[in-house]
Amino acid sequence: MKKILIIEDDEFLQGLEATKIKNSGYEVITAINGEDGMRRISDSKVDLVLLDLLLPNYDGFQILKKIREGELNKNIPVIVFSNLSEKSDIDKANGLGATRFMIKSNFSLEELVEYINKILLK
Amino acid sequence: MDEIKKLKSENESLKKMIESKSDILSTTSHKIRTTLTALKWTLRMFLNKDLGEITDEQKKYLEKLIENNEKSLSLINYVLVSNHTGEIKESINLSKIDILNLLEKIIFIFSGEIKNKNINLIFNKEDSEHLEVKCDEDMITSVFENLVENAIKYSHNNGEIIIRIKKDEKENGILVSIEDNGIGIKEDDASKVFGKFFRAPNAIEKENTGSGLGLFTTKSLVDKNKGKIWFESKKEGTTFFVLLPID
Repeated sequence: MKKILIIEDDEFLQGLEATKIKNSGYEVITAINGEDGMRRISDSKVDLVLLDLLLPNYDGFQILKKIREGELNKNIPVIVFSNLSEKSDIDKANGLGATRFMIKSNFSLEELVEYINKILLK
Repeated sequence: MDEIKKLKSENESLKKMIESKSDILSTTSHKIRTTLTALKWTLRMFLNKDLGEITDEQKKYLEKLIENNEKSLSLINYVLVSNHTGEIKESINLSKIDILNLLEKIIFIFSGEIKNKNINLIFNKEDSEHLEVKCDEDMITSVFENLVENAIKYSHNNGEIIIRIKKDEKENGILVSIEDNGIGIKEDDASKVFGKFFRAPNAIEKENTGSGLGLFTTKSLVDKNKGKIWFESKKEGTTFFVLLPID
């Protein structure tokens, strides 16, 4: 079973995301802040990261940068899932190597799972 | 001299006050948007029976709630875009923009939606390496995002969208047109399309959610950049034209 790491500091949103993704046949692990998220990427064999941007400790941009610079799991797919929607934020995340930028409020969780399926070729 | 000093100081204070209000608006809107997103996802989970069986009556209420929640999301998105792009904030940041590149990026952003509706999108570029306009990049991005999103939203499945771009020597501008073969705009509604809070009845029928502010904002952003926007519509299909200045 493929493993997805959700890094999201809003516990309610994290719970909804985790429930939907688990019900779609994935193993889910979660982190509530940037530091915990980075530790989990190094410690566990994760197949995809769902990454919020506004996080305590390290923010999503810093985590993405560390991943792509090879400090963590360099080639892991990262879906940036945030409610930040300004062009500068989208450009910054894409420039840092996000696999896809999705604005939370524009998507349903079914659509999120569809994208995860596509990326992981389920 | 003292009078000038005083005016300058007052001007600075006003600028700071506007920035501070804009920050409060942005933070509050983000928080509201997060709450509405949580509501959207939860309601959809109920509707999809992820949380157990529901009755037909409960289904009807849930559908209504989802519709209303989407309207609130559209409104809060409008507040955020307006705050960022200048509907509220007045400053405009002009620079030379590669319009081909900007349109390609926007088409990529919507590639998922285009694929989902099986729309054939054709991008006809003029044989020119560089087509530049002098505009505010954030504002113009928002203009084309709105127009492309509308073209997708109001197209039927398996429809066609054609984006054309060419130099208009006479007007010293770049003309972009976005043509769809969707539901069209009725003659009676044509004069109200760029109005605030207007949504045409056939648009509501096709897509229930929407704030009625998209084209109003789009036109105001084009105006701020000294451009022109207009449209032509037949019984089926609409073409929006945007003319932007080169210098």
